[in-house]
Amino acid sequence: MKLIELKEVNKTFQDGRKTIEALKPTNFSVEGGEFVAIIGPSGSGKSTFLTIIGGLQSPTEGEVLIKDQKFSNLDEKERAKKRFNEIGFILQASNLIPFLTVKDQLKLVNKIKKTKLDEQRVENLLSELGINKLMNKYPSDLSGGEKQRAAIARAMYHNPSVILADEPTASLDTDRAFEVVKILARETKKQNKATIMVTHDERLTEQCDAVYVMKDGVLKNKQEE
Amino acid sequence: MFLAWREIKYSKTRFVLIIGVVVLIAYLVYFLTGLAYGLAQENRMSIDKWDADGIVLADESNLNINMSMFDKEQMEEIEASEKASVGVAPSVVQLENQTSEESKVNITFFGVDKEEFIFPEVIEGEEFNKDKEAIANISLKEEEGFEIGDEVSLAGADLTVEIVGFTDNAKFSVGPVLYINQPTYQQVRASGFGEREEEIISAIVVRSDAEELGDVNIGSDDLELYSISEFISNLPGYTAQVLTFGLMIGFLVLIAAMIIGIFIYVLTLQKSSILGVMKAQGISSAYISRSVIGQTFLLSVMGVFTGLGLTLLTGLLLPAAVPHQYNFIFLLSITALLITVAVAGAFLSVRTVVNIDPLEAID
Ligand SMILES: Nc1ncnc2c1ncn2[C@@H]1O[C@H](COP(=O)(O)OP(=O)(O)O)[C@@H](O)[C@H]1O
Ligand SMILES: [Mg+2]
Repeated sequence: MKLIELKEVNKTFQDGRKTIEALKPTNFSVEGGEFVAIIGPSGSGKSTFLTIIGGLQSPTEGEVLIKDQKFSNLDEKERAKKRFNEIGFILQASNLIPFLTVKDQLKLVNKIKKTKLDEQRVENLLSELGINKLMNKYPSDLSGGEKQRAAIARAMYHNPSVILADEPTASLDTDRAFEVVKILARETKKQNKATIMVTHDERLTEQCDAVYVMKDGVLKNKQEE
Repeated sequence: MFLAWREIKYSKTRFVLIIGVVVLIAYLVYFLTGLAYGLAQENRMSIDKWDADGIVLADESNLNINMSMFDKEQMEEIEASEKASVGVAPSVVQLENQTSEESKVNITFFGVDKEEFIFPEVIEGEEFNKDKEAIANISLKEEEGFEIGDEVSLAGADLTVEIVGFTDNAKFSVGPVLYINQPTYQQVRASGFGEREEEIISAIVVRSDAEELGDVNIGSDDLELYSISEFISNLPGYTAQVLTFGLMIGFLVLIAAMIIGIFIYVLTLQKSSILGVMKAQGISSAYISRSVIGQTFLLSVMGVFTGLGLTLLTGLLLPAAVPHQYNFIFLLSITALLITVAVAGAFLSVRTVVNIDPLEAID
């Protein structure tokens, strides 16, 4: 099943009298269990693409569907709700909340959903990511790699169908970066999620099922190039 | 509340400082309220003690009981469900064997009739039985060391009275009251005005069973009937005092709201990138706003109650000479008001929260 689908989506920005087409009309989809990488030079439109998928901004034309249901056409509030339930974001630097321990980052999800913290699930998820010993530490006590793994745990915890990662390895050294990508790939398969990762480092795409290249707002499958 | 608490726990120093400011403001507000209330009470306490509904004064006195004077016989023309006569005379007294300036005390004499309802209840000693005996407010014992059996002389007059008992809550114009019988009152009064034929009183206090004193009939043109509340608000300086303090307290409460509002606003601005991340994760503005407001509530509750505790503590340590008094209803409403305005101040930040663009969290 297509977890994410873009139909003729484009995005233009008005910059004074100039119109910048940051994303040309694009058709794109990702299925469950699929790990997709987007590479491309800076300013080519990768973040624009990813944030439109995540509903942080609306496309100028076209629409984004999640599990065959309307997403980009929903109003702000409904979109936030769907984003909360269906999408896990992993951002460049720390998208952890500084005043919450690793465990509390996950617990926040329960608090918002008004459910109980699933201790077993927390334990399993954190063990799998190798950070279960850091459960009660604050982000400031973690190394870059540990932070990113905590962010992955946070993004996975509420079991979203789509994981969006914008340069998740930017702040890591090569070894750590490989490790994080490996974890992402493994979790994608295991939990049958659709994962889209933006990166500028082509070496990190080995684990991916498909690699797309973004150039001047045009998205192409790497094999077609 | 989850986020609110965790953040307070994490950034203890910062929040302790904010709470500290709230404590100081609350302390000041409570303390001023205590003083204002205490002062107001010391002006009116002896009148509240009458538990009366109306007061009849000489028409020309302009509601000033010290200037009111008429013949006691006029009392017979007044119809009311209960009535009592009182003669009021401000005076200066001194324990008999003392001569120093400091030992002089400003008091007010109330000449009362033992058979009438405004006669005070004695909490120590006995009621007076004959001329030149007095019942004093207990503050004269506590602050000036007056004892039962002491002879007290009036400044500028050849007259002494003996303290035979003490009563409480008897203050008028921020000074203690000495109750004496009406024949003695005539002598006190005469010491200033010369001998008179008739028996002089200052006012007749009435109780009424009807709305707005409808059943009271004074039957004389020289006299005027006022409600007790009107009488109290016209006590010299009373309304001005209450207004002054009321304004100060009102402004302080407003300032408290603004300070807390600004603090929370700055904190919210500082956090905007974190809040952006939360929004990118799909956490609603409503949830974030609720936790900002919840946090303000927590901060103000902690600050205000600490301030309250400090105030009550200070109240215990303060010398009796400082008029301060705490009234449960006042404390409760000030507490509620402070917390409400603080929370209202936090609404300043809601707009900021709503306007934070989750996109900013991305790069
Ligand atoms: N809010 C915006 N307003 C105007 N131009 C924008 C805005 N966001 C992105 N752009 C432009 O769109 C293009 C693509 O940007 P972006 O998606 O951030 O690229 P990438 O993530 O690949 O570096 C850039 O030329 C950028 O300047
Ligand atoms: Mg980018």
